[in-house]
Amino acid sequence: MTRVVEVPAHFDDRSFDQFAKAYGVPGEERLLFDAHAVQWAAPYGLLGLLVAGQTTVEQGGQPPRLTIPTDRDVLHYWGRTGFFEFAGEWFEIHGKVPRVSVTRSSEVLLEITPVRGSDDVHGVVGVIQERAAAILSGELGLEATATMGFGMALSEACQNIVEHAGTSGWVAVQTYHWRRRLGRRVVVIAVADAGMGFRRSLQATQGGRYGDRWGDATALEAALIQGASRFRDPGRGQGLGGIRRYLNRWDGKLSIRSGTARIAIVPSWDDDIPLADSLAPFPGSQMLQIIPAKQTE
Amino acid sequence: MNSIDLKTILHRTVSTGYRDLVTRHTGRAVRGGVEELLDGVDGGQVAVIDFGAVGCLDISCADEIVGKLLLDHGSARYFLLRGVSEAHCEAISLVLERHGLAVVAEDRHGRFQLLGPLGERVKRAFAAVMETGPAAATQLAARLEMTTDATRLLLDELLERRLVQQEAGGYRALTAL
Repeated sequence: MTRVVEVPAHFDDRSFDQFAKAYGVPGEERLLFDAHAVQWAAPYGLLGLLVAGQTTVEQGGQPPRLTIPTDRDVLHYWGRTGFFEFAGEWFEIHGKVPRVSVTRSSEVLLEITPVRGSDDVHGVVGVIQERAAAILSGELGLEATATMGFGMALSEACQNIVEHAGTSGWVAVQTYHWRRRLGRRVVVIAVADAGMGFRRSLQATQGGRYGDRWGDATALEAALIQGASRFRDPGRGQGLGGIRRYLNRWDGKLSIRSGTARIAIVPSWDDDIPLADSLAPFPGSQMLQIIPAKQTE
Repeated sequence: MNSIDLKTILHRTVSTGYRDLVTRHTGRAVRGGVEELLDGVDGGQVAVIDFGAVGCLDISCADEIVGKLLLDHGSARYFLLRGVSEAHCEAISLVLERHGLAVVAEDRHGRFQLLGPLGERVKRAFAAVMETGPAAATQLAARLEMTTDATRLLLDELLERRLVQQEAGGYRALTAL
């Protein structure tokens, strides 16, 4: 028996909960991820799709099917982001995958890149800095100091996978013009993994403090607001605080989804809610960082 | 002064291809390299940790290299961070805040500053020592327009944190050593 999981036509952080709900909790049935009608997908969505595929396979299910977008431009964009480099490992792909080379371009600053260990983090930070500097200070009009912290924010986000997920994950960096949502150009860092999630990662060191209130939402609060870590070393748990401080300074947004909850540091230009609980469950953790262009007077 | 170049240590302990101090794994390896070199440095000398050739510094690495180095050796050694960028300072400051530590840093233009969660009066006292050069508490008190006893309390904190050094009859900045 096959169950269809519809991929939202505009697949980004805003439609992610809809996707998570459709994904549900996979059982015996074979999943078919239907992306044929997708008109646009952000890296956050593409990484989520990979996580869903990976989780399904790792939980012993049959490799899910994926019908790829019919829109040529969308499909080629997916190709340029490197999505198909990894999708073949977790999905049985239906449709003709275009022969598009994975390229860094004016929009794809960093193609979908696996993060498995410290070397990968060095690689990602090393690759991105020069391009990020040109985009942040050139196209986004931010001060030169904004580019310096970018590598830190990217590194800490990737390390969150290495240190806490218990499995590998992916990162992608993209820039685009948000005409309708913001009217400005943005740089977006998307990081996702199919790991244990914040609640399980922090359970041993933090769970007891919260008692019955312990859950995905309190775990995210503990990590992001209190700087809690699963390690007892007092120096641990500062990475998310550093990201938060960096994004606050540049009027950026930070959003982390794990399990059934999502926490966000919401800038004035966004209307997200700071903490959402009782969402549809989704494996691992997904982090989104958005740095907008400087607002012109 | 003994200068310890972090990029050289990064290349020796982790990889010659890297210029960024990122990840806790890297920070741990680099700190190990720094500690090896510290064995050859007399405790009365200032150990200069040179960030000048370092690209990105993330918080995990800052915690391993600066935080743990000060926690483990800061009560017995003098440290000066050299060649720090504004972004380095941000990462280091976050770490120092977490641990309640402080350190003297010199930026890439040769300007000195105190990093860490210190009160304004302590920072003013440090600036006075920097500007005056080796000086007695009474001289510094006059400059700060404070009583000598109050000035001594501030200088004691700087001494205890190894941010200035005491010499016969006075106090001097680490930069003057």
